[in-house]
Amino acid sequence: MKTRLQVDCLVVGGGISGMESAITLGDMGFDVLLVEKEASIGGKMILLSKVFPTLDCSSCISTPKMASTYNHPKVTSFTYSEVRSIKRGPNGAFEAKVIKRPTFVDPERCTGCGQCEKVCTVARPDQFNDGLIARRAIYIPFPQAVPKKAVVEKKGVSPCTRSCPAGISVHGMVALVRNGRFDRAYSRHLEDAPFVGSLGHLCPAYCEMKCTQGKKSKIPVGIKGIERALGYWHLKNGGDKTPSKSGEKRFGIVGVGPLALSLAYFLAQKGVRPLIFTQGKRLGGSLLDAVEKGLLPKEILEDDINTILAQGVEQKDSPENTPFDALLEQNGLEGLFIEDPVRAKESERERIFSSPLKLDEPHLLPHIIGVARKISGPIEKFLEKGEYSLPEDAFKGLEGEISIQEPQGHNEELLPEEAQGLASRCLDCAVCSQCHECMKACPANAIDFSMEPEEVSVTTKTIIIATGFSLFDPSKKPLLGYDRLPNVITAMQMDRLLAPTRPYNAVLRPSDGKVPGNIAIVLCAGSRDRTAGNTWCSRICCMYSIKQAQLIMGALPIANVTIYYIDIRAFGKGYEEFFQQAKAMGTNFVKGKVARIEPTANDDLYIYYEDMERKGGLRRQKHDLVVLAVGAMASPQLRKAFMGDDAPDVDEMAFFSQSKGLSEPGVTNIEGVFVAGSATGPRDIPDCVVHANACAAQVASYLKKTEKG
Amino acid sequence: MASQKIGVFVCRCGGNISDYVDVEKVVESIKGVEGVKIARVNMFSCSDSAQEEMIGLIKREGLDGIVIASCSPKLHLNTFRQMAQRAGLNPYQYTQVNIREQCSWTHTHDRDGATQKATRLVRAGIEATRHSEPLHPIEVVTRPSVLVVGAGIGGLRAAIALGEMGLTVHLLEKADRPGGLVGTRKALFPTGADGTSEIDSLLQRIHTLQNISLYTNASLVKKEGSIGDFSVSIRVEPKDGQDRADTIQLNVGAILVTTGATPYVPKEGEYGYGAKGIVTLREFLDLLDSSRDSDGIYYEGKRVRRITYIYCVGSRQKEGHTYCSRFCCSSAIFASLEVHKRSPDVLQYHLYRDIRTYGSLEALYQRALDQGSLFIRFSPDSPPKVECGHNGGGIKVLVKDLLTSKRELEISSDLVVLVTGLVPRVEQQEVQDVLKLPVGIDGFFNEIHPKLRPVETVVAGVYIGGCAQGPKNAQESVESSLGAAAKAGSILLKGKVELEPFVAEVDEGLCDGCGQCVEACPYDAITMGQRSDGTPVAVVNTRLCKGEGACVPVCPKEALEIRGYGHEKIRSMIRGLLTE
Ligand SMILES: Cc1cc2nc3c(=O)[nH]c(=O)nc-3n(C[C@H](O)[C@H](O)[C@H](O)COP(=O)(O)OP(=O)(O)OC[C@H]3O[C@@H](n4cnc5c(N)ncnc54)[C@H](O)[C@@H]3O)c2cc1C
Ligand code: SF4
Ligand code: SF4
Ligand code: SF4
Ligand code: SF4
Repeated sequence: MKTRLQVDCLVVGGGISGMESAITLGDMGFDVLLVEKEASIGGKMILLSKVFPTLDCSSCISTPKMASTYNHPKVTSFTYSEVRSIKRGPNGAFEAKVIKRPTFVDPERCTGCGQCEKVCTVARPDQFNDGLIARRAIYIPFPQAVPKKAVVEKKGVSPCTRSCPAGISVHGMVALVRNGRFDRAYSRHLEDAPFVGSLGHLCPAYCEMKCTQGKKSKIPVGIKGIERALGYWHLKNGGDKTPSKSGEKRFGIVGVGPLALSLAYFLAQKGVRPLIFTQGKRLGGSLLDAVEKGLLPKEILEDDINTILAQGVEQKDSPENTPFDALLEQNGLEGLFIEDPVRAKESERERIFSSPLKLDEPHLLPHIIGVARKISGPIEKFLEKGEYSLPEDAFKGLEGEISIQEPQGHNEELLPEEAQGLASRCLDCAVCSQCHECMKACPANAIDFSMEPEEVSVTTKTIIIATGFSLFDPSKKPLLGYDRLPNVITAMQMDRLLAPTRPYNAVLRPSDGKVPGNIAIVLCAGSRDRTAGNTWCSRICCMYSIKQAQLIMGALPIANVTIYYIDIRAFGKGYEEFFQQAKAMGTNFVKGKVARIEPTANDDLYIYYEDMERKGGLRRQKHDLVVLAVGAMASPQLRKAFMGDDAPDVDEMAFFSQSKGLSEPGVTNIEGVFVAGSATGPRDIPDCVVHANACAAQVASYLKKTEKG
Repeated sequence: MASQKIGVFVCRCGGNISDYVDVEKVVESIKGVEGVKIARVNMFSCSDSAQEEMIGLIKREGLDGIVIASCSPKLHLNTFRQMAQRAGLNPYQYTQVNIREQCSWTHTHDRDGATQKATRLVRAGIEATRHSEPLHPIEVVTRPSVLVVGAGIGGLRAAIALGEMGLTVHLLEKADRPGGLVGTRKALFPTGADGTSEIDSLLQRIHTLQNISLYTNASLVKKEGSIGDFSVSIRVEPKDGQDRADTIQLNVGAILVTTGATPYVPKEGEYGYGAKGIVTLREFLDLLDSSRDSDGIYYEGKRVRRITYIYCVGSRQKEGHTYCSRFCCSSAIFASLEVHKRSPDVLQYHLYRDIRTYGSLEALYQRALDQGSLFIRFSPDSPPKVECGHNGGGIKVLVKDLLTSKRELEISSDLVVLVTGLVPRVEQQEVQDVLKLPVGIDGFFNEIHPKLRPVETVVAGVYIGGCAQGPKNAQESVESSLGAAAKAGSILLKGKVELEPFVAEVDEGLCDGCGQCVEACPYDAITMGQRSDGTPVAVVNTRLCKGEGACVPVCPKEALEIRGYGHEKIRSMIRGLLTE
């Protein structure tokens, strides 16, 4: 879908800076489009606990901004969207291509109730909690999100699912089993294909050949085992035999093999009443041979066949030589399918169909199911409209010799718990597993996996870059142990632990959920540090750490908090006083450079630091939780959207440059392109708000000047 | 026609309220109160989803008034009024009760007490809504012009922005030339930009804009009216040949205060100040500026070989100037780089407390370290001592170095630079008096809220920018002044503002013309007029009235009420408060 939009200003980034610029320009009467890549506006600020130096609750002061942005009559907000390209148009204005990524949830219907999150089978590190806890593949960003609508993170189709010739949502099945929902896994498999247990024994497991876990660790997820376990589970527990919609139209199938059975199954699912003519044979065809050879337990096959019959498939034993015409006429059928192509040649009549290839070998079972599905569609269409045409690729790859590995591995019974263990190794390649649990749970019927990206062509006179900053990745300083030591956390995680919407409703340390009693905050983690590739000061971390010290002492009155610092940079209005207040409350300030962090017994930590004040030298101190005050890094990805030479300049740390000197804040080297807030370099919220308004003034002057010509 | 179907929403504010106030209990205890149709608890009332939910309820239940017990109305009064409006209610039939600042945050150790107080406040709020009437804001057509007070770099730049937006600008400067502190500087950190030429080019732009008038030697003497429509008087000192000052009357829609700040001047004897060889940062920069082309550093004709900088002079004090002046670390270090450039053999000692070269300014500090400047940290408890040499000998600075040992070091210096910060200007006082602007304990003008409204003041329509709000460097002053320009622009470009309808109203039947209210009003909004029969009666000028209410209690006849806060409403609110 394509739409067009014309605005005065395109604001990219919906953090505090972007929102502030948008509101001010909107108030002035300009038309603004704000594009945010996440599913909610609010940026980092909405995630914070309280904010220095006033200790306002960050939620309380962000939410009204978010609401006024979103409800502003002059501001249109696109969330979960990205600016793909920006080009200068003929009359000086910019042509921007904005993609609204599919959320797979109809925002008009979704009420934000969160039922879907409860049932979703895929967990992801929650980016809105800096990975401290998990969110689901379908998620509402956070309780105060604007808009408060669910979105599905879905990255294409997982390799396993894509590789399955039977068309099974393999990833969905694996994810359901991982969650212990065997009944749902079984019925999800049935939505796609019959023969659950038989496939689990006979399939050569194409999915495992493509499994990403296999590529990574040599041992793929044991998908076939999982499928087999489902077969055994169903054998013991039964269930899910409710027939699908029962229709009027009757359709006959001559044959007892897997193709005949699968086709009957798919037609039954589509509301046709299939009638299988067994002609003296037992249902199963070549699958019975597999039973003979010991490749497939008899009970499993019987259970699979019973499941198919339970869908409303009937069978009839008619003499083998009954002419097909007679079968059609005598049984009031609208059509007939002959499983054996050789026999089908006997009669080239209308209403009689067959497969061009003979397909009846146990290890071809997944392909046969795939073929049956592909035939079932055209037959359904024939029954409705009288036309029949097979898709061209129906038999792709099946002509001639098919090179298939013999079924390998073990065929013994697998217990549900064992299958769950196997499934837990899944990497959730496409994130959403397509288990469809959310669709079943959503009371508003809002989930729609057919949604496509929407492209919006935006003509705009000006652009404000307000894409903010990113946080230093502490794994780049291995000596600080972030990757190794569970009780070394980032400042963002600490802010989350302290926030009103905090994940555990308490300040706990990750390794054992213990309430910490002796907390260290390490300043300049990844800033002012050549070895970290960032020699600048990050400007916000001293102050947010002082804030956190005060909040921790409020939350845990008996805890000790020590801040290791090089200089305390409390430079803004009221900041020095805020620093003195933290000292007066009893925060320890130690002037010392932290060299490394090592574990002790019970997950406590030793901080080794160079004492720059007291006794000097390298000293060691024990703590039970360490917070790394990670620095602010550039987030210049938007540059890619600009074409060629027209990309705005960045400085040596990759922040967007304000190229026109000291009297022109917010102005880049590209005419009509402006930059607001922390996209220009680290800034705290007061400095962002002021800067964003300055930027709005620049844009307004520019627009008024160009209006006049 | 008071509200009869009231919805009451009590907010948890995440946990900010519900951690200390039993919000469920509050809801329970007001459920039977007259007029209350529904009462609920919200997680975050201000969140978009909660607002949508409340709008739904208002419509479905046909509510005609609401009460939200949450945070301070300063924060969310407008949020919820707008919500009420979206729900089809009159926004003035909404009452906000502050149970966060007034209950949960003040009584963290007394849950029962906090809960009881919250209940009483909510009861009063219900009464307020019950007795509220639909009101309509007073709409004022804004004048498309702005008064900018102070023509430093911030004021100049803001004036240009406003002029370019198409607004008429009156730019006022107290001194005889514009440019402020930047105008006299040759090299500004971090790039070395020339302040004088920066100011010159801003002035050139001002001259090309027809809609900006610049008045030098001028001061603000009077202000009347309110946002969108102020009348101000400015006094322009006599120029040569004139003997009388001019007073000019102007009508403007908004006022920007960009009056800046001034360097701290040490007291006589503070770190030896007053003696030869001991200079402030400003004096040192003047010295560098006035000798741009020389290759060495000379002080009173003598070559300087050792410089000692003492930081935080007049800043970060235990009492008085407790704040950090923000720009001085970077400025001093930048100056020391210039010294090194001119004569690398000069030894430079920096006696500091914390080096605050935040953000990219850190690069300056790194360069100074790399070039061999020595940084010595002292404790505020034992500041350096400066001993002036007798009969022409050098200066000795004694300092206890915190980093290496606590041993006292003795640094002999040819020049001691006192790195002085910024303090409010004395001239700021008259602006403060005329505009009735509040200042903080630091003496700088106060913003309403540092994050939500950093350039707005409690006087609607008056904005602050630059160092008048607190110390900043030049670029930061420009930023905040432009920010102020944006906010002024956002009301003036719209063409109208809405004012609160809370103005005094006279009941002509009761007024006996005693005139006590005229005396009481601090805004001169009441005058004595005449009825048609010639008897005197009080008349309210709604443009000047701020709804402050000083007149109401002095009227012996109860003839005055503030619209929206009638006697009956106030009385029943008090009854609500007193109900057990
Ligand atoms: C742990 C921590 C604690 C802090 N505490 C405080 C505090 O107490 N007080 C204080 O004043 N400051 C604090 N800060 C700083 C504060 O978070 C920042 O000043 C502020 O969030 C910056 O706002 P911004 O809008 O410029 O950037 P951001 O908040 O980073 O917002 C940028 C937005 O742009 C979006 N975006 C990015 N790229 C694109 C793209 N290509 N297309 C579309 N959208 C995009 C992002 O998703 C984001 O929503 C803290 C920071 C941290 C890390
Ligand atoms: S269950 Fe449906 S309505 Fe509820 S949040 Fe999920 S998608 Fe939205
Ligand atoms: S289909 Fe399954 S994995 Fe995907 S979002 Fe829905 S519940 Fe989650
Ligand atoms: S890791 Fe999981 S999702 Fe990925 S291919 Fe393997 S089974 Fe499928
Ligand atoms: S703000 Fe403080 S903690 Fe952050 S980099 Fe600068 S000096 Fe280090």
